[in-house]
Amino acid sequence: MEQFQGELIDRVFDRGICVKCGACVGLCPYFRYFDGIVAVMDRCVAGTGRCVQVCPRAGYKSTAPQENATDGNGIGIYRSVFKARASVDTLHEGVQYGGVVTALLAYGIENSFFGGAIVTDREGALAPSGMLAESVTDIARCAGSRYSAAGSLAVFNKAIKDGKGNLAVVGLPCQMEALERMKHSIPDGAQRESAVSLRIGIFCTWALDYRMLKDFLRANGVTGAVKKYDIPPPPSEKFVVFTEQGRREFPLMEIRGLVQKGCSLCRDMTAEHADISIGTVEGEEQWNTVVLRTEKGEAFFEEALNKNIVEKAQLPDQNLNHLSTASRNKRKRGKNAELELSREG
Amino acid sequence: MLKNVIITGVGGQGNVLASQILGRASVRAGLKVTIGETFGLSQRGGSVMSHIRISDKKNYGPLIPPNMADIILGLEPLETIRIAPEFGSDRCVYIVNSRPIYPLNAIAGEMEYPNTSWIRDVLSSSGGRLYWLDATQHAVELGGPIMLNMVMLGALCSIGGFAVNEEEIRGVIQDIFPETKLKANYSALEMGKRLIKEYAN
Amino acid sequence: MNELFEIKGGDERLLQGNEAIARGALEAGVRFCAGYPGNPSSEILETLAEAAKELPIYAEWSINEKVALEAAAAASFAGLRAIVSMKQNGVNVVSDFLTNLTLSGTGGGLVLVTCDDPGGISSTNEEDARLFAKLSDVPLLEPATPQEALEMTKWAFELSERIKNIVILRSVSRLSHTRANVLLGSIPPYENRAFFDTKSPFHTFPVLTKHLGRHRKLDEAMAHYEGSSFSRYDGPERAEMLVISSGSSWNYAAEAVEILGLTERIGVLKLGMTWPLPVNILRRYLKYSERIFFVEELDPFVEEGVKALCAELASEVGIKEFYGRSSGHIPICGELSPSVILGVLGDIFSISWRAEEYRARMKSLLPQPSPPREFGFCPGCPHRGTYYAIKEALAWDGRNGFVSGDIGCYSMGIWPTGFSQVKSVHAMGSGVGLASGYGKLGQFGFDQPVITVCGDSTFFHAAITALINARFNNSDILLLVLDNSATAMTGFQPHPGTGSTAMGEKVEPVDIETVCRSLGVGVEVGDPYDMEHTAETIYRLMQEAGQRVLILKRKCALVQGRQGGFPYTMRVDQQKCLGEDCGCGRYCTRIFRCPGLIWDSSVKKARIDEVICVGCGICASACPSEAIIRQQKAPN
Repeated sequence: MEQFQGELIDRVFDRGICVKCGACVGLCPYFRYFDGIVAVMDRCVAGTGRCVQVCPRAGYKSTAPQENATDGNGIGIYRSVFKARASVDTLHEGVQYGGVVTALLAYGIENSFFGGAIVTDREGALAPSGMLAESVTDIARCAGSRYSAAGSLAVFNKAIKDGKGNLAVVGLPCQMEALERMKHSIPDGAQRESAVSLRIGIFCTWALDYRMLKDFLRANGVTGAVKKYDIPPPPSEKFVVFTEQGRREFPLMEIRGLVQKGCSLCRDMTAEHADISIGTVEGEEQWNTVVLRTEKGEAFFEEALNKNIVEKAQLPDQNLNHLSTASRNKRKRGKNAELELSREG
Repeated sequence: MLKNVIITGVGGQGNVLASQILGRASVRAGLKVTIGETFGLSQRGGSVMSHIRISDKKNYGPLIPPNMADIILGLEPLETIRIAPEFGSDRCVYIVNSRPIYPLNAIAGEMEYPNTSWIRDVLSSSGGRLYWLDATQHAVELGGPIMLNMVMLGALCSIGGFAVNEEEIRGVIQDIFPETKLKANYSALEMGKRLIKEYAN
Repeated sequence: MNELFEIKGGDERLLQGNEAIARGALEAGVRFCAGYPGNPSSEILETLAEAAKELPIYAEWSINEKVALEAAAAASFAGLRAIVSMKQNGVNVVSDFLTNLTLSGTGGGLVLVTCDDPGGISSTNEEDARLFAKLSDVPLLEPATPQEALEMTKWAFELSERIKNIVILRSVSRLSHTRANVLLGSIPPYENRAFFDTKSPFHTFPVLTKHLGRHRKLDEAMAHYEGSSFSRYDGPERAEMLVISSGSSWNYAAEAVEILGLTERIGVLKLGMTWPLPVNILRRYLKYSERIFFVEELDPFVEEGVKALCAELASEVGIKEFYGRSSGHIPICGELSPSVILGVLGDIFSISWRAEEYRARMKSLLPQPSPPREFGFCPGCPHRGTYYAIKEALAWDGRNGFVSGDIGCYSMGIWPTGFSQVKSVHAMGSGVGLASGYGKLGQFGFDQPVITVCGDSTFFHAAITALINARFNNSDILLLVLDNSATAMTGFQPHPGTGSTAMGEKVEPVDIETVCRSLGVGVEVGDPYDMEHTAETIYRLMQEAGQRVLILKRKCALVQGRQGGFPYTMRVDQQKCLGEDCGCGRYCTRIFRCPGLIWDSSVKKARIDEVICVGCGICASACPSEAIIRQQKAPN
């Protein structure tokens, strides 16, 4: 067998398909998440490597293990799907759409359902990166989407190293998959699994390459830290950037060129490995689509409903159908991209 | 009379100072001495070798021709076997400090530092006479690894039949060290002498 | 008083070749001494600077070799005896002034000492600086022993004053760093009479007249040399072979002939002056044998000259058979040794001299060569931290950036000790000049970030001009000045930034930060021991355009060792150390590579080598498991 890290470098980094989930970062000194990329710092010679075991791209041939079972609707295994939104008094500044993620996290932390949550911080001088939110204030600070995985699982790895447990992890589908892979990683998969209390997955069509995005914005006169990014639901076809100087809009077509190459291989739009998956609702800016997938996820959401933290309503069939179609299309695109990559060798 | 002595070791072990002391002691004794120093990037962990040629007739050239060393004073085991084939001989006396200083490539695991007992066996089987001394350990007890060169000089002038005696060495030490450092250096010389004596017995 | 500076001669001392050159200069009554440090030449000016504290002479470390010669030439123009010392690379720096100076001629005796480094033991190149003597038509002297170094230096001043031109004295590492008994002469009384005679100006015009004059001076030098006692011949009048040698390598030739028992069959001629070649001496000895063997370092300098002479004198001296570099008997590069000469003569005369039996035994005992000792930064060296930070910043950046290196300890950044980050090294200041060029390549699609590094001494020597060039031409350049408050590579000589002169005089230091600011370039200061923060700073600066300077300040570890030492006692927590497991993979010993941190193969864990570790503590932040523990040393 080749060096394990070498394999990861060959299969992922050299092909430029790292999606910056951060799962390989923080286990060792050989990878670092820095300013929007996962950097290979040095060559490792250890005979075993968790890095390659947990990477959602290194083993892409076996991704989305649930897809066959759920071919019916394309959004994976679930118990229920509906729309939901945060109750008015739990809204925080910066939240996007229904604010369900922020509301759930704040509720969970406040009531000690989990000790902390792995979320993504806003960008400063450097790209957004993961953070361990341990208070409602922390949660509020991180509300909103970055359209990037931001290597936040590096923070999860660090938290484990620091002996933390009982964590909620918020992440993109690739990150939910990495968490799934971590369960089986040697030698400490079981420990990692038991440290996770709740997995909240965010729907994702693709994520942006942060450095390309920065170059693009700079070329278009946008400098300094971005406060918030937004892609309003279809049919807007816009990418909106909020900075200190105000709001800028770009046609989504221009932004598509900045999508990470690794995202094209992804076949999971709705974070099928999460306990709860959350996304937008087409045409309804005040709501989130919520997919409850596991018993754990369901129990937690029920609690929040009962405490009136969130409210739910039925998702119109048309919306579910659209979600289904989009999800299946992503699966198809991912399969094709994978075939193409394997032809490249 | 011509005595060819090589002091070999690693940058930072005090090789150059030891050879200078030996050289000055030789001049004090009315002898002709030539010292060739090979140090290059000496302070940076590289190999350092001094050739010391002591004669009662003339100043020889700075380099000892192949296999003509009478004594090899090895401050470090690997450095000793590195030069033994080129400069040693059946009649060479090896006085060797047993404590390794690991080369970076050995530390990094790219090379194997040979087992010191194997080095000792090689030198014993070389045909020459071997004194294998735990000199660093004793130097540390005397105040630090910096004393190593003095312990080894003490050993060198105690093997019998050497061109320069301990008195001359002490004289030079008195010339070049401040009063406060004399006692420690003399003790180190004594220690070297003792190690040779104990080794011989 | 230092015994080396005794006025009265007559005593025999153990002197290093370089000290002997310095003593020779003192015995010639030298007043003005200048130089730029560089192995193997540094001890000459160091010794003279020490002497300047006790004798009425002046010594300075100049900013570079060219300025050193210019300053010394001023003293010569004012009638004083002056000396400059440098290594072979320095002569390249000097050469522009030198080739003009040799036209104008000199006043008081002026001697340029070059210490060449055959084998490139402590150099970035291997170069025979003797060729500059031929290029600029000045006499070249090559002493063979420390005693001769003293006498020849003294004589060089006389010769210089006789012919009114500079004289080059050429040493090599093996002579400069050889110690031997040297009989001292006396130092003459001093009188102050410095005066520039405005009626006899020093310039190069009319050029042709001056050029012609320069050749006449050479002829005069040759005649004067032939009357000296610096040539030596040992051997029969009718020899089976004539060895013509110069400099330190004469020792090897003479001893080899002795060892092989060939003293009655081979004649050995030692030349003290090798440019111009002493024609009459050669004419005499060339007749002694049909076979000529050249023993010299480094280029076939004497060899080619003598061959040309033999062609001219063919009818007189006969047809010769030559042995040397062009015949392949002597390797075309590298230092000579007794072994090389014994090998050549042993083969030609079919004499076996190797201890074959012993060597065979050792070969069977030691079938593999011993692992080489790769060069590395000292324990505690700030450069390790610097390159570690650079390595991190370049990896984070991910655009295939690299380091354009310069001359100093930090040149070792090409090796694993500097994480192999440096991708080019040439001459003093060249790394910065190259960076200035890379910084203009963006228009041609070049998008790799370049970091250039130079030391504090190198900054003043030649990097500063390259930085100004970058500023002038608006080149994108990121310069890291590795300020360790010393010319560390060559033995801690002062430079403009250190606040003291060669003679120990306190002066206001030239502050690198202020200099850079005055140029209008961005300047920041950092601490290379704080590797993470330094890496972040470097990364940030890499993303910016224009001229940026980051000064990384930390004393050279050897200086720090002398000035109070280091704060920590280090240990490795064997419980926490992961060793070879995933999560570490021997990171500290395999990647970080500090000699103070070693691998204990018996327990497969890292451990501190307490004999080597100085306690700088920076490795603690490199360990992924926080297993390397810093413990504050108890105050003394």
